[in-house]
Amino acid sequence: MNPPPAICTSPAAPTDSIRTPWAEFWRKFRRQPVALVAGAFVGLLVLMAIFAPALVPFHAEDYFDYDALNNPPSWQHWFGVDPLGRDIFSRILVGARISLAAGFISVAVGAIVGTLLGLIAGYYEGWAGQLIMRFSDVLFAFPGILLAIGIVAILGNGMVNVVVAVAIFSIPTFARLVRGNVLSLKHLTYIEAQHSIGAPDWTIILRHILPGTMATVVVYFTMRIGTSIITAASLSFLGMGAQPPTPEWGAMLNEARADMVTSPHVAIFPSLAIFLTVLAFNVLGDGLRDSLDPKIDQK
Amino acid sequence: MVKSELMPKKLRFTAARIAISFALVSPAVAKDVVMAVDSTFTTMDPYDANDTLSQAVAKSFYEGLFGFDKDMNVINVLSEGYDVSADGLVYTVKLRMGVKFHDGTDFKADAVKASLDRATNPENKLRRYALFSNIDQTGVVDDYTVRFTLKKPFSAFINVLAHPAAVMISPVAIAKYGKDLRDHPVGTGPFKFIEWRQTDYLKVEKFGGYWKPGYPKVDGIVWKPVVDNNTRTAILQTGEAHFAFRMPPEQIALLKTKPGLEVITGPSLSQRYLSMNVRQKPFDNPKVRAAVNYAINKEALAKVAFAGYAVPSDGVIPAKMEFFQKMGPWPYDVAKAKQLLAEAGYPNGFETELWSAYNHSTAQKAIQFLQQQLNQVGIKVKLTALEAGQRVEKVESAPNPDTAPVRMYYTGWSSSTGEADWAIRPLLAGDSAPPKLFNTAYYRNENVDRAIAGALNTRDPAEKARYYKEVQEQVWKDAPWAFLVTENLLYVRNRKLSGVSVMPDGNFHFEEMELKE
Repeated sequence: MNPPPAICTSPAAPTDSIRTPWAEFWRKFRRQPVALVAGAFVGLLVLMAIFAPALVPFHAEDYFDYDALNNPPSWQHWFGVDPLGRDIFSRILVGARISLAAGFISVAVGAIVGTLLGLIAGYYEGWAGQLIMRFSDVLFAFPGILLAIGIVAILGNGMVNVVVAVAIFSIPTFARLVRGNVLSLKHLTYIEAQHSIGAPDWTIILRHILPGTMATVVVYFTMRIGTSIITAASLSFLGMGAQPPTPEWGAMLNEARADMVTSPHVAIFPSLAIFLTVLAFNVLGDGLRDSLDPKIDQK
Repeated sequence: MVKSELMPKKLRFTAARIAISFALVSPAVAKDVVMAVDSTFTTMDPYDANDTLSQAVAKSFYEGLFGFDKDMNVINVLSEGYDVSADGLVYTVKLRMGVKFHDGTDFKADAVKASLDRATNPENKLRRYALFSNIDQTGVVDDYTVRFTLKKPFSAFINVLAHPAAVMISPVAIAKYGKDLRDHPVGTGPFKFIEWRQTDYLKVEKFGGYWKPGYPKVDGIVWKPVVDNNTRTAILQTGEAHFAFRMPPEQIALLKTKPGLEVITGPSLSQRYLSMNVRQKPFDNPKVRAAVNYAINKEALAKVAFAGYAVPSDGVIPAKMEFFQKMGPWPYDVAKAKQLLAEAGYPNGFETELWSAYNHSTAQKAIQFLQQQLNQVGIKVKLTALEAGQRVEKVESAPNPDTAPVRMYYTGWSSSTGEADWAIRPLLAGDSAPPKLFNTAYYRNENVDRAIAGALNTRDPAEKARYYKEVQEQVWKDAPWAFLVTENLLYVRNRKLSGVSVMPDGNFHFEEMELKE
């Protein structure tokens, strides 16, 4: 049987001083320079997104210069000018808000609902568990983007509906992940001990099983944000998400299509923004997994 | 596993590509011209075609009694002249002798009668029925003389006969094919119809018995619908196509740098406007409509959406049109727009919907630009670029004018009779509202309706000009539209190809088509 995760490690460590889980995490995490850089990038991105309105040199929607259409990057316009005369750098900054918010909120909703369902399905197994898992299987049968398109087609276009769609298709992955964890945790001795002293189910689930699943959820959460940003951007690219003139990255790419042969910069910068952000989240997720999983690295 | 499944598919695809390129290359040796166009063809029966393109292609094998030259002047084609009776009701047309149809039938008065009787019979449900419904009867005087009797005088009748829809069809083919005529065109034109594959190409080959000696100068034409802008641009650059029409304005700068290609631009009859539903608030208020006109910088629109290949509208109809009345362009004045909105009771603007009749990239840019401009005066618009099907459903077949959902509508028009009536009546006459015709502003003004009718019924050019002046001035004053731009024609041809041009209405001229090696 596996040892329980970080929280109650070091069963036999007489010589070592007892390390808190945080210290343990940091000790491993700081040894991964790539993940550190990705983490710093994500942190910077979040800061930029929060302070975008104060940082942008030009208004993202209402500034336009019809004498500078499609101008390449310059000192004045760092990322150049788009086909409607707007400053691409300002639009990317404001777009970071939308993309990060869409990615974070949709995954958060998906993670919360999915985790709860996973806990129930894993702990009770029976018909409730079966129902939840079969329903997840149904959702799994669709490719993610197709499911999202279907949901948006029903709910209508718009960024809020895209967030709902992405959240819905995130639910089954979290449910399945958490259920798997619960199944292995609930037969461990410390849980059985809880049973034997007559602790109620919800105490066992929330106070003793849930913390044990958090590490995997956090890792998966981080990686999932990357996927969700791509999905949201794809839906906007297809015209189903953010509507003009909102500077969402995918929508910006769509608007750049006609001009990208003659003025590549209009497509390059939004693409780079999506690419780097998603990459950063994925690398960060990898780093977190390596640092949080007690099975990896005991050197 | 996946790979082994994919490979043969890929090979098949390559094989198909090679086959296609052979099909295209080998006729090129035999001097076939490849013409790339931006849309698929709807029918090869010009009487049933609503799109200029299908009619343009049909000119390969069909001809009319009259036609238009490059400058939209009416010329004789299968006729040798005409007379009009004093009351303007009877037109007598002399026919050209020695003309043969592709199936060997002689072109005589009975062919004219058969073609037009078919067009004027409502039971045939031809889309161009309205254009010919004024013909009471077509009579055969002798083998080479026909007489048209009209229901009411119509001064532009010869323009109707010159319309690309009004072609002469072999009477034998009409009897033989009936409803299938759309796939089996038999005319008198310079080329014979060979094959039409909806999404691939339409092929025609030189007709040996053509009446005009020395023509045509090429062995055949392959008309290729290439819907994607980038692909159309690419096959021009590779030499796979000799000609491409409707070029995306944003790629013209690039194509101009290619030595083997020639970019041609000129005035067109194709205008863009933003209609406002005058039956609905707030557009029922003329001040709001004027404010919208003041709020839009048309020069900038031409630059942003059309890469400069458009000019601000300076009247209700395009400047190249007969009886055009110059009144603009409408000045760009944001302060004035705000003031008018305040006077109309909307000091903070309002929210509304803006639909576009098209969803190609040029229209997408245009409506985003309009959104940007209107936002400056407080008018917040929600954009929807309609697909063709949505357009028909939501706008063109809205059954009840009172509940029609359209508000602001970005659209355009190109009058293919080259004549003022067809540029005004379908769009602005009171009873032209959808689903009948295209008055998407639901505009109705008694003076305008009376003047339109007056102009139709008179044959005195001065009187007609007076009527059309009245119409245009009233419409400009009422502003049921925001008058935007007139597009420039934009097409590219390989320098080896000569004698092909696009007319201001988007129709093609290719009589003198020649290919140098």
